[in-house]
Amino acid sequence: MDSLRIVLGVIGADCHSVGNKILDAYFTEAGFHVVNLGVMVSQDEFLDAAVESNAAAILVSSLYGHGLIDCEGLRQKALERGLDKILLYVGGHLVVGKTPFAEVEKKFKAMGFDRVFSSHDDLAEAVKLLRQDIEERTR
Amino acid sequence: MSRDLLLSVDIGSTYTKGGLFSLEGETLHLIGREVVPTTVDDLGRGFSQVRAAVLSRHLNRGHNTNFRFLGAGGAPAQAIPVYWSSSARGGLKIAAVGLTPDLTLSVARMAATSAGGKVVRAYSYELTPEDLDDLRAIEPDIILFTGGTDGGNSRVVLHNAARLAGLVSPAIILYAGNRKVRDQVVDLLRGREVVTAANVMPEVGTIDTEPVRDVIRRVFLERIVDGKGLSSVVAEAGREPLPTPLAVFELVRTIAERVPGWGDFALIDMGGATTDFYSHTKSFHGGDAVILRGLLEPTLKRTVEGDLGLRVSAEALFRSEASFLEGRLREAGTDIAPLRSYVEKVSRRTDHLPADDEGRRFDRLLAAACVRAAALRHAGVLQRVFTPQGGFLVQRGKDLRQVGRIVGSGGYLAGETRPDILLEACAPGADDPDTRHLVPEAPACYADIDYLIPLLGNLAADLPGEAARAAVAGLVPLTLQTNGS
Repeated sequence: MDSLRIVLGVIGADCHSVGNKILDAYFTEAGFHVVNLGVMVSQDEFLDAAVESNAAAILVSSLYGHGLIDCEGLRQKALERGLDKILLYVGGHLVVGKTPFAEVEKKFKAMGFDRVFSSHDDLAEAVKLLRQDIEERTR
Repeated sequence: MSRDLLLSVDIGSTYTKGGLFSLEGETLHLIGREVVPTTVDDLGRGFSQVRAAVLSRHLNRGHNTNFRFLGAGGAPAQAIPVYWSSSARGGLKIAAVGLTPDLTLSVARMAATSAGGKVVRAYSYELTPEDLDDLRAIEPDIILFTGGTDGGNSRVVLHNAARLAGLVSPAIILYAGNRKVRDQVVDLLRGREVVTAANVMPEVGTIDTEPVRDVIRRVFLERIVDGKGLSSVVAEAGREPLPTPLAVFELVRTIAERVPGWGDFALIDMGGATTDFYSHTKSFHGGDAVILRGLLEPTLKRTVEGDLGLRVSAEALFRSEASFLEGRLREAGTDIAPLRSYVEKVSRRTDHLPADDEGRRFDRLLAAACVRAAALRHAGVLQRVFTPQGGFLVQRGKDLRQVGRIVGSGGYLAGETRPDILLEACAPGADDPDTRHLVPEAPACYADIDYLIPLLGNLAADLPGEAARAAVAGLVPLTLQTNGS
């Protein structure tokens, strides 16, 4: 059985590359096949990579506070491209200011993201949830 | 020793060229060359004619310079080895099938052109019944079938395999997609001519075109040569041909690797129908604030522009480069109408050679437009973007700024005596101050005055160092005739 493929990248005009490298190493170590697109990744680049690699999930990072506008419409585009089973995760500093995380999470879930993470979440927990979600989605 | 003389022939779509070379130690010299019109109905006739012409006119010159091989009473001319290539009968026509336009399809195009092919059609996602009708109608020699990374997408790939299984066409299918379903694909295509190669994009963003190039070369030799009416030439030459652009591609590589100072150069081959642009230079140089988006392009790259040419494609050129042409004419204070009628004339009479100043001026202008557009399409762009973390530069495509030399080849550029037209490759091209086309900056220019590049390309497989050095030695440097300023 092939290892599970996930697409990873920092969306929009965001150049924060350190966290991206940490996520790449962590998820690879956890047994995933990581297709890492690096920083400044457009929605189309995420989707192209997911289509070609038959990925189970797209993990979007956003660290510079413009996450809402950058992520808007990703779910719809995924559906248009035939990725009707793909999991969408997002995490980081998603919005500027002191909006409570619960509200941020609500907004991103309304946009079609399956899981939303703050910058304080534990990566081990994220790995566990990802495995669980993929299993459910492909059942 | 018959190794001392070598004959090289290139069968082009319009002319068949032949050259006799001598090999002295590790140096190749051109003894003489001849050109005859390509005999489209029977390519072998033109081949025999040019061979006979070269031997009858130049072999004695070789004799005078005292070749050992002719020393003992003159060995038969038949013993001289003949290397040859062909781009006649439409060249090598390839239809590319990929999954997403920016990834596998884009890489498939790159692989096909670097193998010396001409991409006649490209299809992404699921093939439709209409696509199949289209494929049947365009009669490609090869269908390069890609899609999915290794272990990646198989749904669309298998769908397309099932579709292609129903295609009525003599085209050879070359599968170079997701390795995981290769056996299934071959199985679905049972009964058809199928060959396979390693995936052109095994991982997202990783390009691997060499295996496909090798298979295309083999397929060309083993199966396509016959269909192009070249088997009689094989019999006469006693050797298999190369597709001309592949011979040139390999020569560009050999020059870059073996001739000091030529590691970063470009070659433009402009003809009546197409403009080919070859570059050998590192694609991306990095740097602190430069981010590469899209595919990392290969160090050796070829692009073919089917709408940029001086005759057959003149109308298409006139349409796609209208604003550039108009701008230049306006600067000169002329109207575009005379150029329009000239273009109409030469695209009908493709063997037209201008007899007056106006015609020559128009040809120069059209050539400038071809070189400029081919360079802009071959080169990538660098854009300044402003982010919350400050200004960054984003590069897409290939950086040609390190290209220090440009060679002009092909009927028109080979005859150039000034660098002006080749320097059009350095045109900035963008009005936006935050966008920069990564074209060469200040290259030295050269003309392949005897049009030896394809002929030496044929010899490069057996004599790489010798052919590369001879190609460079045969170039004429072009300089601006200024008043010492």
